[in-house]
Amino acid sequence: MPKRILIIDDEETIQTVVQFGIKMSAGWEVFTASSGSEGIQTAQTAKPDVILLDVMMPEMDGIATFKELQSRAETEKIPVILLTAKAQTAEKRQFNDLGVSGVITKPFNSLDLPEQITRILHW
Amino acid sequence: MKILLVEDDDLLIKVLTRNLATHHYIVDTVKDGEMGWTYGSTFEYDLIVLDIMLPKLDGISLCKRFRTQGYTQPILLLTAQDTITAKVQGLDAGADDYVVKPFDPVELIARIRALLRRGSANPFPLLTWGDLLLNPSTCEVTYNGCPLNLTTMEYDLLEVLLRDCQHVFSTEELLDRLWSSEEFPSEATVRSHIRRVRHKLVAAGAPHDFIATMHGRGYYLKAPSTEESTARITTTPENQMRGAGVAKSTAALKDSPQPPPDSQQQYLAFLNDTWKTTQPKSLDQMTVLLQTVRDLQTNQLTPPQQAQAQQVAHKLAGTLGVFGLTKTMHIARQLEYWLGGREPLQPKHAPLMKTLVAALQQDIEQTKLIQMSQLPAGQSPLLLIVSADAEFNQSIVGVAASRGIRLEIAPVLDATQALKITESAFDTLGQNPDVVLLRFSHTLSPSAVTDQSAFEVSNFWETLQTFKHRYPELPIIIMGDRGDLSDRLQVMRRGGQLFLTGQTPPEQVIDAVVNLLRTPEVPNKVMILDDDQEWLRTLPTLLKPWGFKVTTLADPQQFWNLLQAVTPDALVLDVNMPQINGFELCQILRSDPHWQRLPVLFLSVLTDSSSQNQAFTVGADDYLCKPVMGVELANRILRRLQRVKAWAS
Repeated sequence: MPKRILIIDDEETIQTVVQFGIKMSAGWEVFTASSGSEGIQTAQTAKPDVILLDVMMPEMDGIATFKELQSRAETEKIPVILLTAKAQTAEKRQFNDLGVSGVITKPFNSLDLPEQITRILHW
Repeated sequence: MKILLVEDDDLLIKVLTRNLATHHYIVDTVKDGEMGWTYGSTFEYDLIVLDIMLPKLDGISLCKRFRTQGYTQPILLLTAQDTITAKVQGLDAGADDYVVKPFDPVELIARIRALLRRGSANPFPLLTWGDLLLNPSTCEVTYNGCPLNLTTMEYDLLEVLLRDCQHVFSTEELLDRLWSSEEFPSEATVRSHIRRVRHKLVAAGAPHDFIATMHGRGYYLKAPSTEESTARITTTPENQMRGAGVAKSTAALKDSPQPPPDSQQQYLAFLNDTWKTTQPKSLDQMTVLLQTVRDLQTNQLTPPQQAQAQQVAHKLAGTLGVFGLTKTMHIARQLEYWLGGREPLQPKHAPLMKTLVAALQQDIEQTKLIQMSQLPAGQSPLLLIVSADAEFNQSIVGVAASRGIRLEIAPVLDATQALKITESAFDTLGQNPDVVLLRFSHTLSPSAVTDQSAFEVSNFWETLQTFKHRYPELPIIIMGDRGDLSDRLQVMRRGGQLFLTGQTPPEQVIDAVVNLLRTPEVPNKVMILDDDQEWLRTLPTLLKPWGFKVTTLADPQQFWNLLQAVTPDALVLDVNMPQINGFELCQILRSDPHWQRLPVLFLSVLTDSSSQNQAFTVGADDYLCKPVMGVELANRILRRLQRVKAWAS
C-alpha cells in the first residue's frame, strides 16, 4: 500500500514540488492544503498516514493547527512532522515538547523526503 | 499508448485503469484539475480522459486551458449530464469527444481507439508495415501470417513504431511514449526491448533490420523491400484477418522489474519547469519589499506593512529553498530576520534593507536555470559504467542503489562516444564520477582473432587511456572476460586501478567500488558532535558510501569521555550547542598535546565571516555551512585525513 501524505503549506510552489518529488521517489499519494483550516478538513476526510505541517503560516499557524489536530478524535493519532525554516535547536526542542513526531528543516530536497519521513516514523 | 486520466471517483478510476490496461494503454491517474494540468503539461500523453466535475479546477476549464496553451493531443470528456448544453460546452472548450456517465468501458475504449487513430499518421483500424500486421482491437500481431507472441511492452513498442511509421524514434521518445511517469526505466531497457522484438520478428521470418537503427538518432521501421507492400494500408480487415491466422499476444506476461528511477533528472526538469512560473511570481512579490524600502526611507513604514513584508520574505525564502537556491534564500532569510524584529524598523535601516532587497531581486532575475548541484541534501557517490553489455548493466542497478551508489551508464565502448555521453550526463548532474568501470565483454580466443575483434580490443584500450587522460585522479576498474597476464599488464600500464574478471557478481563489483572510494590506507574514524538529532541521524547514511566509521554525539557534556573512547581520526563540530559551544570544545582540544593535531571541521548554520574567523582562531581546520551535501562533507573530511597521513609519513 503506498503511503498517503498530507502537506499543509501556504506556499503553492512548495506543495507542487513536494507532491511531485514524493510521488516520483516513492510513489506515495500526496494531498495538499494551503491553510491550517483546510488542512484539518483534508486530514479528517483523507486520513493520511502522516501530515507535513509548515510552522509559519498566516492566520492559523502550524502550532495552532497541530493543537487543533490533536484535539480531534479523527486526527489525533495521525503523526505530524513540522516543516520549519528555523534551524535553532531551542525551537526544535520546543516543538518536540509539543508532541510532534519530528521536524524537517527547510530547504529540503523533495526526493529525500520519503526517506526522512520513513526514518522519523520508523516505518 | 499513454493516457492521462483525470478523475476523482476512486471506483471509476479502478474500473477504467483495469480496462485500459488490458487494452495495453499505460495510464497515469490524477484526481484534481490542477494536477491534471501539471501532469498533462509535463509529461507526454497520447490522449487525456477528463472528468468534468473535478476538485480545484473543473474539466471544462482545464480543457480550455490546455487548448489555449496550444495542446493538440485528443481530449475526451466524461460527463454526468446528458444535455445538449453540456455536450456543446465541452466540445466548444476544445474536447474531441465525450462519453456520458454511466457508460460501458467497452464504448469508452472504442472511442479512445477512434480518437487515437485520428491523431495518428495511419488512420486505419489495422496497422501494417510490409508483412507485419497489428490489430489494435484484438491486440493480435502477425508477420506474414505467422503469429508473434509478444509481451505487453513489446506489443506497445511495435504499435508506437507502426502508428508513425515514417518517424525515427529516439530512445528518449520511446521512454516517454511507452512508460508511465511512475516508472523510470533506463535507456538500456528500451534497447533490450527492441532487441527482443527484433528476435521475435526474425524468428517469424522478418529481415534483421525490420526495425532499423539510425545511429545517434534512434529506431525506425525500414521500408519493406517489395514495392507492393510499401506502407500497404489495409481497408478490409476481415479478409486480412482471416488469411493471417492470428494468435493472441500474451498480454498477461509481466515485464521484468524496471530499474530504479533516474529520478534526480526528472525532478530537476520539473523544478526548472516550475521555476518558469515561480520566477515571475517571486518578482511580483518583490514589489512589496521594494515598497517597504521606499516607505522606510521616508519614515512611512507602518507596523502592519512591515509584518506583511516579513511574510513575503518568509515565503520567498521557503520557495527559493525548494529550488535549492541557497544563497538567494539566505538573503531572503536575512530580510525576514530584520523585518521580524521586535522593534519597528527605523529609517537608518533603509540602506541595509535596500541593499538586501536589490540583491534578492537581482538574484531572482538572474536565475534562469535550476541545476542539480544546487539541490540540497544527500548526494551519493557516482559510478560511471561504460559497458555495452545490457545484461550486466541491468544486474548492477539494484545492487548499486541498495548500497547508496548512483549509476550513470554509457552503453557503448567507443571512447569518443562514451566520453560524450558521460560528459553530457555530468552537465545535468553537475557531478563528476567518483569511480569509472569499463567493461570489456568481447570473448575471444587467441586463435580466432579477427580484424573486427582486434579492432575492438585496441578500441577498448584507447577508451581506457582516454578516460585516464580526461579524469586523471579517477580510479578506473576494468572488467573483462579475458584475464591473462598481457591484459592485466595493459590495464596497469594504461592507468587502470583494478582488474575484475567478467564473471564477478554484481555485489562484489560494488564492494570493489566502495573499497576504491574509501582508499583503505586513509584513517576513517569520524566523530560528529551536533545537538540536531535529525541531522545526526542523516549523517551516517550520507557518509557511509565513503566507508567512514561515524560516531555521533548530541550532548557536549559527554564529549571528552567519548573522544577518549573513540579516538577519532577527524572531528566535525557544530558551533551552537547548549552549555558548551563548539569553539570552546575546539579550544579544549587544542590545549591538550595529544589532540592538538586532530583535524577539526566546523559545520554550522552560521554563514557570517566573523563566526568563520573565530572558528579558525580557535584552531579549526575547515569550516562548512549547512546545508551541506554528503559528497562535499565527505571530500572535505577525506582531504583533512589525507593531509594528516601525509604529515605522519
